[in-house]
Amino acid sequence: MENYVKNILAPKLQGDGGWIDFVSFEFGVLTVVFQGECSKCLILDRCIDWIKGEIKRDLGIDCEIKAVRKKPFFWDT
Amino acid sequence: MAHIKVIRRSMRPEEWTDLRFGWLKRYIYEDKFEIENIKVRNARQTGENDYEFYPEGWQPLKKGDMYFTPDGTAFFEADVFVPEKFRGRELWFSLKTAAEIIVKCNGKYVGGVDPNRERILLTPYIDGSTSLHFEMEGYNRSKPDDERNPESLSVRGCRQIFEGAYLAVINHTALDLVYDLELLLDIAKSESFNEDYRAFINRELNNALNLIDFDDVKNEDIENARKYVNDVIFANDDYKGSGDVALVAHSHLDLAYYWRRIHSVQKNLRTVLIQLRLMDRYPDFKYTHTQPQTYEMLEKYYPEVFEELKEKISSGRFEPVGAMYVEPDCNIPSAESLIRQCLYGQSYYREKFGKTVDNAWLPDVFGNSWILPQILLKSGVKYFVSNKMSTWNDTNRFPHNNFIWRGIDGSEVYACVPPTHFITWNAPSGVQENWDAYQDKNTGGQTLQMFGYGDGGSGVTEEMIELMHRFPKVSAMPKTEHLGGSEFLHKNFDGNQNLEKWDGELYLEMHRGTFTTKSDLKRLNRRLEYKLREAEIISTLKFLKGAEYPYGEIRDCYKILLTNQFHDILPGSHIHPVFLDTVKELNEVDARLESVIGTGEKYFNSLNFKREHLTFIEDVNGHSERLGVKGNWVIPNLAALSSGEIPWRTFAGEWCEIGDYVTTPFYKIKFNKDGSIESLYDRELKREWTNGEFNKLKLYKDNPGVYDAWDILPNYKEKEVPYRIISPLKTIEKSSECAAFEVVIGTEKSVWKRIIRVFRQSRGIEVENQVDWHEKHVLAKAQFDCNVLTREAVCDLGAGFIKRETHRNTSWQQARFEVCHHKWFDMAETDGGIAVINESKYGVGFYENSASLSLLRSTIRPDIESDMGRHEFCYMIYPHPKDFVTAEINNIAYEYNIPLVKADLTCENSFGELFLQTMKMSENGKMIVIRLSEQNGKRGRIELSGKVKILNMLEDVIGEATTLEYSPFEILTVGIMI
Repeated sequence: MENYVKNILAPKLQGDGGWIDFVSFEFGVLTVVFQGECSKCLILDRCIDWIKGEIKRDLGIDCEIKAVRKKPFFWDT
Repeated sequence: MAHIKVIRRSMRPEEWTDLRFGWLKRYIYEDKFEIENIKVRNARQTGENDYEFYPEGWQPLKKGDMYFTPDGTAFFEADVFVPEKFRGRELWFSLKTAAEIIVKCNGKYVGGVDPNRERILLTPYIDGSTSLHFEMEGYNRSKPDDERNPESLSVRGCRQIFEGAYLAVINHTALDLVYDLELLLDIAKSESFNEDYRAFINRELNNALNLIDFDDVKNEDIENARKYVNDVIFANDDYKGSGDVALVAHSHLDLAYYWRRIHSVQKNLRTVLIQLRLMDRYPDFKYTHTQPQTYEMLEKYYPEVFEELKEKISSGRFEPVGAMYVEPDCNIPSAESLIRQCLYGQSYYREKFGKTVDNAWLPDVFGNSWILPQILLKSGVKYFVSNKMSTWNDTNRFPHNNFIWRGIDGSEVYACVPPTHFITWNAPSGVQENWDAYQDKNTGGQTLQMFGYGDGGSGVTEEMIELMHRFPKVSAMPKTEHLGGSEFLHKNFDGNQNLEKWDGELYLEMHRGTFTTKSDLKRLNRRLEYKLREAEIISTLKFLKGAEYPYGEIRDCYKILLTNQFHDILPGSHIHPVFLDTVKELNEVDARLESVIGTGEKYFNSLNFKREHLTFIEDVNGHSERLGVKGNWVIPNLAALSSGEIPWRTFAGEWCEIGDYVTTPFYKIKFNKDGSIESLYDRELKREWTNGEFNKLKLYKDNPGVYDAWDILPNYKEKEVPYRIISPLKTIEKSSECAAFEVVIGTEKSVWKRIIRVFRQSRGIEVENQVDWHEKHVLAKAQFDCNVLTREAVCDLGAGFIKRETHRNTSWQQARFEVCHHKWFDMAETDGGIAVINESKYGVGFYENSASLSLLRSTIRPDIESDMGRHEFCYMIYPHPKDFVTAEINNIAYEYNIPLVKADLTCENSFGELFLQTMKMSENGKMIVIRLSEQNGKRGRIELSGKVKILNMLEDVIGEATTLEYSPFEILTVGIMI
């Protein structure tokens, strides 16, 4: 799962100015940190649903995704 | 008691007008027919025109479905039979989308839709066919063309909801009224216009809209409202405007930024296509487009559109501007790179369109080097356009908009720094703001207003043209004229005797971090600039011995380098994948040039002066180590442009004492444990060089805010980041030529090894840095508090030098707290000074007797990982007697930057005192081109052994000579016929 996030998903999100980092995958819950443009995306939930679908298709795993947004301080206003 | 804000809930008359304006837009479409059999295939772009498809293949796409993927391209197809009631009417395609979609219908490119436009006229392109086959290619990204546009900002994101695609018929009466209102409401809401006029518009717009019953909208009522607007508002000329504004249609296209360069191929196609289709509809519309590289890509991948484009160029409506191959950064590239930008850009324009473009169009670049005017002028460019200094300066208002720019050598070009942004929407308020901000009203003629969406391309919309056509009806607006870029420049500058003059660099008081961000790109750029020089000189000399000249290979390599000098690539202001692409491409160029250069038995000195300063030469059996490579420190003693053996001889005597002080033939040095120098006593010159922190590594919190990769703020020194000494300074080498001392310091996240070298035969003190860098928002600098009384620092510009004041007397000096330099800077008194020579750094700050060389940054936007990881770089401290010219600092810096290679070649002529910047075969293969650069501010002459052709930088013959006269900072190009 970690390799999949790092090598398959991350380059795609980076291509849009976003960023995803793997944190853990335990008990069917994938925890990831979103940075960059993803951290302030208003419709990140749609992307998370898409990620679930990609994981299901490529790895055959149904998972929940716990998304942590790490937004830089200068975007907090 | 808590303050309770009272919100007015009843509607003001202006809000009532706005509301009705919104309602009116619903009547733009008279009829719509949903295209229901759309299918979509998701992909990800992997090359300029290559795609990796998702495994699902073609899928149906229905209204309400999600579409697009992160960094995704989607292909669409649909077949539709035109309904009976639409036949014989003007037919449109409508698709509201956040993506950028190129649309083909029945095999023809009919236009593009994107966040800025939602419909395409079909009728002229489908030959009355009732059976339509659509093919579309779309690219969606989270960053819209222009973040100032709230509509496009609201739909950002990788996954979008498909809102349906339609065949449609337009109600032109309603649409015309919408445009009238768009124009007038912009004026009514703008404080740039007269208050009474705005009140008049508000009152009369209300009256006009009262003619429409919005519970039962009738076309004749819309017509009546339009007539009212025309007869009452537009007919009124009681309110007089002033000013004269030239409107130039343009779209700024960042080749890479929040997208990889490969995406710019389709962004450019969409942009060009949209402008061509607008030309079909509006006979007076003309458009100005830069960057030969984008034309080249269009020709390569979309020849059908390129042919159409050529026709429009022939008829003068589509205007190629910008002589440079791309819009490069204009601080960091070498003089030769800037020349090649012009040479390859102009060569393309000449070959394909029969034009030499006489302007440089650089709206978004982050300041402009003082060496530029000469290069432009000698490349056929008389006019220079760049916006940033007027709209982005953080301290001083740049005093001119239309003026003459005088370069380092005295060359003068006409310069336009338009008063406002290069991306505008052609609204009346923007036009008025431009005129209000224009500072050369009495001397400069018209002011330049560019209009069109940009950054990611897209350009002008129908709405912008419709509004422009209405401007003459508004008496309170400045006079406007729709011109091409070149038309504007010729009309307002030619023969204008009143223009003010700016003599100096065009320093941008912002984006000062871009001299340092993404250190790897700066290192690779510097390395390849010199490697290309080496490859061309060696290839030319080999050609003279009968070998083939690798024209194509060198040109290809150059074009890759030039493309990666684009102003959001080399400065480091881009997302992570752009960095990965650039590093990959530049490393490939490096390998290709190795192959061109080849090898030989002897070392070759490509410099046209004797190489006599200490140099590191790789040798697996060497006695020293530098940057992880074994080798020896030797004085090559190689004559100009010649090859020879470089024998290594061990020096048997004792030359360096190491104790509390390190004593060399030149210095008595007291080091601190962190590798900084407490005392640097010059034994030859009998003087102390330090006066405070010297060669001290300084880490500062570097928090510039949203423009993270771009900016360093003036207060960056307020907060220092502490570090600790992991391993104090110790001796790691004492050989017959070099003594080296190593210190390892660290923060919680990073480890920084510094190796300081002193030498038996050189005044240089080299500092090697090996860094494992994992900071966040930290700027690393090397501080040099020099025991030198000076009010100016001298900075190398790559083809000459600039003197910059080191005091902060006025806001102009205060703003220049971080500046760009090339190979070296120097702080000196009349009888000696200190130069610091680098091999990959550009940012430096000065204050009084102190200099601070910027080494690394660690920004997180747009790239979270910017500059993270391993870095290796060196610089050399070079105290010297006399002034920097007499001390030959520039030559020493060339030796430091250009490694010796092996090639068994010689050249008889060394071309006097000027620097041999280039020796190459001419692009037409008929001449050897020699480019010589005066870099010390001197005048003189070179007697030649025979007659040579005098060339401009485009390699056109402009004269002949047997003697070359040169003046300070002049760059001469000559051709020797073969």
